Parts: sequence; structure tokens; C-alpha cells
Amino acid sequence: MHMGHEGVRMFPSTSLTLGNEARATPLDDLENVVALYQPRVFRFLLATLRDRDAAETLTQETFLRAWSARVSFREDCSLATWLIRIALNLARDHTRTGRFRFWKRVSASAVDVADVAASVPAHDRSAEAQLIAQQQVAGIWATVAGLSARQRSIFLLRFLEEMEIPEIATVTGLPLGTVKSHLYRALAVIRAQHNSASGATARSSTPRNATMRKAATKEMQ
Amino acid sequence: MTPQLTTQPGLADSAPGETHLTGEQFGELMARPAESAGAELALAEAHLLVCEQCAAELASLREAICLFREASSTYADEELRRRPSWILPERRSFSRSLVPAYWVAAAAMFMTALFPLQVLRRHSVAPAPAAVSSVAASDADRDAQSDEALLEDVNSEISRSVPASMQALADPSDDETAVNSETSVATSNQRKD
Repeated sequence: MHMGHEGVRMFPSTSLTLGNEARATPLDDLENVVALYQPRVFRFLLATLRDRDAAETLTQETFLRAWSARVSFREDCSLATWLIRIALNLARDHTRTGRFRFWKRVSASAVDVADVAASVPAHDRSAEAQLIAQQQVAGIWATVAGLSARQRSIFLLRFLEEMEIPEIATVTGLPLGTVKSHLYRALAVIRAQHNSASGATARSSTPRNATMRKAATKEMQ
Repeated sequence: MTPQLTTQPGLADSAPGETHLTGEQFGELMARPAESAGAELALAEAHLLVCEQCAAELASLREAICLFREASSTYADEELRRRPSWILPERRSFSRSLVPAYWVAAAAMFMTALFPLQVLRRHSVAPAPAAVSSVAASDADRDAQSDEALLEDVNSEISRSVPASMQALADPSDDETAVNSETSVATSNQRKD
């Protein structure tokens, strides 16, 4: 895992004194926790908010909230799940404000789809294959932006953070069936976009998929 | 969930009666890791073996989402690397070894706050009556004595018939005065010589 922040010195473990009455928590060594989970939290928030400054601010806020509430961490889920849950709640609160919608339109730190698409690792693809891959990524990125907040969160948790569905249910606080339902609807939209973009199949125009897209669009609205 | 494949007669490139995966099955296959597909997806898995179209579509979408994950991760990592380091103040813990120092400082502050009050109180409260009377009596006695001495001097001067400065002229027979006059005459004669 890369950690390009050599200067990150938040709350050094050497200066922490929790007191005799406080029980030990995984958050005690916050420097290591940040080093381990900061890229993941930042990535999730960046894909959710599509704003670099907001993602960084909320990433810091996530760790500060986690530190403040470390005593309430009961270890009934993994630390990563707990942190992502905090990040998701912060992102939800952030996007509810009208200020976010305004700044989303004018923000200079908004993520450019082309920059994300250009980040596709080349591996050993040909130039043509690389271009197709970039187009596919740009298409999915743009489609994910059009999903409803709940569908987007669940899609990102499953396919960006690679969480299992029960874990997603824990993070979102939704029943398993609801999580699956949102995920399948999101996938239906992504699949339709992917098929129409690649032109590989004509099934995206079938009545069944049209119905699914309609349902997903309704959910988005 | 009952596995069920659908017939999609509307497909342009499919033969009549050809069956494909339902949207839910597609979603199930996408959402679950390939190795963890359960028995309920056995039919869908079996279908993928015989239907190249569904298999290709599933593989294509999986690859696209995989690319999406790779690109998003790479972009976020690079962006994070470009960001300035977090600069947050270090949190200092309350050290028990410094407790006496804190008490001393608190006591010093308390005394500092108390000092002006003491001074104010000293100025506002009247001194003891006995001390005041003794000081006043001593001052009055001193003044009275000096006044009496002055009056006695004046009285003695007034009571004299001849003032002290004219005493020599008033009684020439006085020995001391005579000697003095002779001496003064002799001195004047010497000056003349």
C-alpha cells in the first residue's frame, strides 16, 4: 500500500495516554490506522462526492470522528467497515446541503472524468485496447454519477471497496434484501449503458431491459 | 429464489425460443464472486456454459467494472499523493507528574488575585483608636512645649528693662563691659599710629 504522506503526524502513539479507566481500542494507534485506511476512505469519498477537496476534508473528519468515538467501537464489525460507515454518513450529510449542490457546479476541485479514465493502467494492452478501456471507464464513471445516492453508495461499496453484501448492509444499516435490490437496479443501469456504449449486443433494447432501466431511473429520481 | 431463465424472443440475433439470464440472475452473478456462487445460481452458471452471448456480456461487464475499480483506485492514490500532508496539532496528554506544578501555579494565581484585595482592605479599614490617640497626644504635647518655650523667651525679653543688645551702654561700670571698651579704644589708637 502506498502512503505518500511521510509528514502525517496526527496523534503520535507515544503521546497518547488513555488513562487507566479507558479500555484499549484499535484506534489507540491512530497513526497506523490512518496509514492503513486513509487511501481506502479517501477513494470511497472521492468516488462518492467527485470533489477532491471535499473528499480530503471528509477523510480527515472521518478519522477525527472515529478518534472521538473510539470508545464506542465495539469491534462487532471490522475497523474498515466502521470507518467506511462514518465516511458514508458524513458524505450523506454533506450532500444533503444545498451548499454542496451549488459548489458542485462551480468547484474547481471537481473530478474530471477524463482524468479518471486516463488513470487506467496500461498493462500490456495495445493502444486501441487502452482507448477502449478508457472509454468504458469514463462511461461507467459517468453512469455511476447519475445513480441515486443510495444506489451509488451500494454500487461503490460492492465494486470499488469490494465489500460483501452483508458487510454493505452493516455499513448502510439497510436490510439485506434492500441492499440487493438497490445493487441489482444499479447494475441494470450500468449494464444498459455498457451494452449501448460497446454496441456488443442489442439486448439493451429489449422490453425486459427497458423495463429495468425505467425502474432504475425511477429509483434514481 | 427459483432459478429461471427467460425467453427473449425480441432479440434480433437470437433464435426463437432462445433463453437468457434474467436481470436478477445477472445481478446475482455480478454481485457475487464467481467462486462463491451457490446452488441457487447453478442453473445460471450452467447457462453460461452454453450461451456465449450471456457469458460474453457478463465477462465484458465484469472487465469494465474491474477497469473502473483500477482506474478509480489509481486516480485516488495519485491524488492523495499530491495532497499536502495533514498538519494537525499534537495532542498532549495530561501528565500526572505535573500535578504538583499545576497546584503550585494555581496557588500562585490565587495569591496574586488575593493581594490587591488585602491592600484595599488595609486602606479602607480605620486604625486602632488607642494608637491614634497616642500619636495625636504626642504631637500636641510637642507643639505645646515649643509654644510655651517661645512664649517664655518673649516674656523674658519683654520683662527686661534694657534689651540685651543695649546692655553694654546701660551699665558702663560693669567689669566685663569696661574691659571690652578699653580694649576697643586701644585697638583704635593702634590703628591711628
